[in-house]
Amino acid sequence: MSAETVRTIIDDLGALLLFTMILILAAGQIYRAIYAVAAQSLLIAIAAAVLATATGNTDLWVIAGITLTVKTIVLPWVLHRVVRRMNVRREVEPVIPVAATLALAVMVVVMSFHLSATLGPVNQAITGNALPVGIALTLLGVLVMATGKTALNQMVGLFASENGIFFTAMAVTQGMPLIIEIGVILDVILAVLVMAIMVLRVRSTVDADIAGLDRLKG
Amino acid sequence: MNVDSGLNLMAACYGAGALSALLARWSGRLALSVGHLATLAGAVVGLGVSLSVLLGVPGRTLTQPLPALFPFARLSLSVDGLSAYFLLVISLVAVAAAVYGPAYLRTYSPDAGPARQATQVLALNVFVGCMAFLCCAGDAMTFLLFWEGMTLASYVLVVSDDRDGENARAGLLYMVMAHGGTALLLVAFLVLTERAGAFDFAALRAAAGDLDGTTRTTLFFLALVGFGTKAGVVPLHVWLPRAHPAAPSHVSALMSGVMLKVAIYGLLRFAFDILAPVAGPLPSSWGWTVLVVGTTSAVLGVLYALQQHDIKRLLAFHSVENIGIILIGVGLAMILWRREGVGGVLATVALTAALLHTLNHAAFKGLLFLGAGSVISRTHVRNMEELGGLARRMPWTAGLFLLGAVAISALPPLNGFVSEWLTFQALLGGAGRFHGPAGLVIVFSAAMLALTGGLAAACFAKAFGVTFLGRPRTAHAEHATEAPPSMIVGMAWLGALCVALGVAPGYAMRLLDAPTAGLLHGPGASAVVTARGPMVLSAGLTASGTAATAISMTMVTALLIALTAIAWVLRRGSRRGPPRAAPTWACGMSPTSRFDYTATAFAKPLRFVFATLYRPRREVIRETAGTPYVVRRIHYAGEVVDLAETQIYHRVQRGISSLSQSIRARSTGRIHGYIGFVLAALFVALLLFGVDQ
Repeated sequence: MSAETVRTIIDDLGALLLFTMILILAAGQIYRAIYAVAAQSLLIAIAAAVLATATGNTDLWVIAGITLTVKTIVLPWVLHRVVRRMNVRREVEPVIPVAATLALAVMVVVMSFHLSATLGPVNQAITGNALPVGIALTLLGVLVMATGKTALNQMVGLFASENGIFFTAMAVTQGMPLIIEIGVILDVILAVLVMAIMVLRVRSTVDADIAGLDRLKG
Repeated sequence: MNVDSGLNLMAACYGAGALSALLARWSGRLALSVGHLATLAGAVVGLGVSLSVLLGVPGRTLTQPLPALFPFARLSLSVDGLSAYFLLVISLVAVAAAVYGPAYLRTYSPDAGPARQATQVLALNVFVGCMAFLCCAGDAMTFLLFWEGMTLASYVLVVSDDRDGENARAGLLYMVMAHGGTALLLVAFLVLTERAGAFDFAALRAAAGDLDGTTRTTLFFLALVGFGTKAGVVPLHVWLPRAHPAAPSHVSALMSGVMLKVAIYGLLRFAFDILAPVAGPLPSSWGWTVLVVGTTSAVLGVLYALQQHDIKRLLAFHSVENIGIILIGVGLAMILWRREGVGGVLATVALTAALLHTLNHAAFKGLLFLGAGSVISRTHVRNMEELGGLARRMPWTAGLFLLGAVAISALPPLNGFVSEWLTFQALLGGAGRFHGPAGLVIVFSAAMLALTGGLAAACFAKAFGVTFLGRPRTAHAEHATEAPPSMIVGMAWLGALCVALGVAPGYAMRLLDAPTAGLLHGPGASAVVTARGPMVLSAGLTASGTAATAISMTMVTALLIALTAIAWVLRRGSRRGPPRAAPTWACGMSPTSRFDYTATAFAKPLRFVFATLYRPRREVIRETAGTPYVVRRIHYAGEVVDLAETQIYHRVQRGISSLSQSIRARSTGRIHGYIGFVLAALFVALLLFGVDQ
């Protein structure tokens, strides 16, 4: 593959990633957000595979494989299971209106592009517009966490934010040391598992979600 | 023995010991025996390795690379004289602990499940292995990894024994203090590794050569606080008297006897080897600080020990005292080293005293903790006031405990005396070389060391007298029986060490040659201290040796034995008629065990003298029957406070809680708000710092 082709593919994948992020932000149902985040992970796995063929870095193949199994299949399945087990209303209850959230998202994306334009040296030829997309994904993930009312939303947000970090790292450095990437993935697996267990436990004992946590304050 | 293969074998032994915890699936007792046997094997191999280095070719450093675990650091082991000497100290005590351990654990907690036994075996092997390899670390990364392993394993051991709230709190305090110290060490090491661009000590040494004075001193003080936390110097000692007694007794012996010494090793390695300037003396603030801290720890440690009635807590406070004595020697060596016109061989004497006291303290404190453990395993009581009269019931334990008590009180002819004598020689010699306030500080330090020795003797008169003499005060003490032979053997090994190091210390000086010569780049210990042959110790203050003070421990011992024999013969000759047994006259009352001197009463005069320090609280409630003349019952309660705890730690605690109260008033408790706040902060930071560049 020529550098030009890779650059186009990565740019297109970046656009698709941003699109999945919008889907997550605007999802009216929690299932849709989970599917969107799974699709996002799939896109990242594809991006890793493309970069692997382009650069010949075998570590990236390993990362693509792990991303595909863990983030595209296992973790969405866990989230799906939690939703089924919780047996609650599946509508997403936003803290602020969806329109306002989307407006904030637009601001974040614009700022990311503006920001990365000033970061000349990091903007490498092969990765094109990957850096602003990565930054935008990371920040938008946090936005999902901030606007969702239930713990599930926050899990999805954390997941998406982590995807952003991953994409940035992969695109900018063309593969960090394998041990660091694996460490990051382990972090997410643990966080999602712990949160999933916590959510189920809390739900089964006190029937409250995180919106009720402010009652704990003394 | 080949050192490389010795290290491999040692690792294999400790690894096998840790794995033997798996045997607990079938039998907990089997796991205990096999695990401790592996520790014993590892310790014996460690002895072989250290002796072959110490007695081998001087000045040689053996390096062995380790498998690469991290992409950014090459790990390696490196054994020189100092490493080997501390490996020797660790292995000597570990031998005793491994022999003593299984029987102790079985008698102390016979109903322990296999899970607990497996944990203890695993943690013990990891603990001892980490300490042994910590001293052999050849780079900062390996050092810190083993340091952390040592801390975690000892934490597991501290909380493994009795599962009550107090142990858990002691463990938590230990964990917090230890990690606070480790954080400072991490900073100190990382500053150097960042400058050096590598982790191995040789590179750090080169990087430290270019440091300016302020950075060097800052790094030293970071390390001093970091290592001092582990060593338990005042005022960083608060965790020590809580955590050490909570562990099983043979682990207490290892923690008090050895783990604190590992911190001393770290300090010596960091200050003398890595951080020291290429030429010229160490900055004078280092040595004086260490000297003052050591003196304070020595005096306060023994003073607080005097007021303890829990036998293991008392011993733990004595560790604070002895670390103080070691630090006096270290501080003096720092002051005198390479200093024009004053230093010379005196620095070697001071360092020799410190290192020898390290070994001696490991021997007698290990012995005392094992002795206390054998009492506790038989009576399940740690409070001395509930013991008494055990000398008749546990003669071997009593005898060996007495031996340790004499040694720690720095009485001839045992080993504690030798190293304190050398410390005195170094102090008095040093005082003569400095004029004005500096000389006074050293003289004051010597006076405090003398006071410490006297108070330690008083403390152990109390500890031994109240625990072993008199009559049993409770049924626990009354029905006590002698400990099993393997425990006695473990104690006797350390007891023999105390006697050997006390009677013929000159022969041990050869072991100190490599560490002192390697660290100070000067003459070795034996060239200075045993210049007149192994039978005579002298401080070697002048070249001709004429003005030097000298002592021959062997002659002192012979003299003491002769005097005792003469006194015994004379007394025997003067005795008229056979002895007659008769009841004690007690003013018409029949004496009970309550008439015996109690520990509280014994320590009372000192509680009066040092009342400003102790701030004693005393409460007496009399229950009378109608008239004030008929007293039914008197209830007495008293306690002393640890000044460091009330003056420093409680204030810090109050400060933190008031701060968190004020934060709580401002927090909403809404998680979306918090996440939004994080997002906004990120956003602003990116705009501020990202765009402008």
